[in-house]
Amino acid sequence: MKQALFLNFLFFVMMGFVTQLSAAPLGYKNSWMVMGDFNKTYQELSANYSITANDALGVSVNAMQTEDSVSRQQIAEAVYTRKVARWNLPNAQANIWFIGGLGTTTGNTFGGSKAMASPGVQVDYETTRFYSMASARVYAAQGATSNITLVRLGASFYEVDYDQPQPWLVVEARRITFVSNQYVFTPMLRVIHNRYFVEAGASLSGQLRFNFMYNY
Amino acid sequence: MKLINYVLAISLMGLSQVTLASMKVTVNGMVCSFCAQGIEKSLLKLDETKAVMVDLKNKVVIVEAKEGKTLNEKLIKEEITDSGYDVVSIETIPQTVAQFKEQMKGKK
Repeated sequence: MKQALFLNFLFFVMMGFVTQLSAAPLGYKNSWMVMGDFNKTYQELSANYSITANDALGVSVNAMQTEDSVSRQQIAEAVYTRKVARWNLPNAQANIWFIGGLGTTTGNTFGGSKAMASPGVQVDYETTRFYSMASARVYAAQGATSNITLVRLGASFYEVDYDQPQPWLVVEARRITFVSNQYVFTPMLRVIHNRYFVEAGASLSGQLRFNFMYNY
Repeated sequence: MKLINYVLAISLMGLSQVTLASMKVTVNGMVCSFCAQGIEKSLLKLDETKAVMVDLKNKVVIVEAKEGKTLNEKLIKEEITDSGYDVVSIETIPQTVAQFKEQMKGKK
């Protein structure tokens, strides 16, 4: 009952409202950001509120499972996101972000619930036609530590005006050590249009993937 | 004839006062609409703002004032900086947002 209330609370908070899937894991000052990242082995839903132009506070729930679905782990945490540095160039932008979570984890590979800390860093560089990003985040709990590392490269098909949707081709290499020590390569089609950002694709092994971000 | 010239001169003066109502801000770091929307949202919240146009290709933001209102250059700069971007320059231009859009269309 308590867990259901907690999940309802998280859902409510998130509906009012980002992850490491884009160039900007937080929105503009006083805005909400909701983000989702879904495939068979990893699902994440998170939301944050930007209290300043550089800081956001939020919550995140995620679940990981191995390809054969034998091992599973869930994480619920409060997340602080900090824009550590930004370089605004005439035709480009580069950032360094800190993302840190504190929460609990449960799973079927250990008993009970464990406290978890999840510090991470993200760096990115993008222009109106090119996008690159790398991130690493450790999900640390006693006897249940894993990490996620990823690299993304993308190119837009053409430049657009501010009020037009812009399609991109993005290729991601991601390793989730809870799932496997192998990197999974996923080409995705990304569409960005003002408030929303969606990505859909399939890994080279055929695993479907869907990501979104919504900022308001 | 003198009267016509006088009326014309007065009209042109009035016209220039009405149309000198926008600011063109050159901004560094604007690369996508998802990131730059914060600029539009925060500038539209200002009481004196009638319309905002973000031009990603030319890296400029056009801010048009409401009739009878004066744009505050310092406030505009603060809002854009708070959105995470760097203001390179600000200048007053005679066009409205709609006129600037038309001008940009003509250049394509």
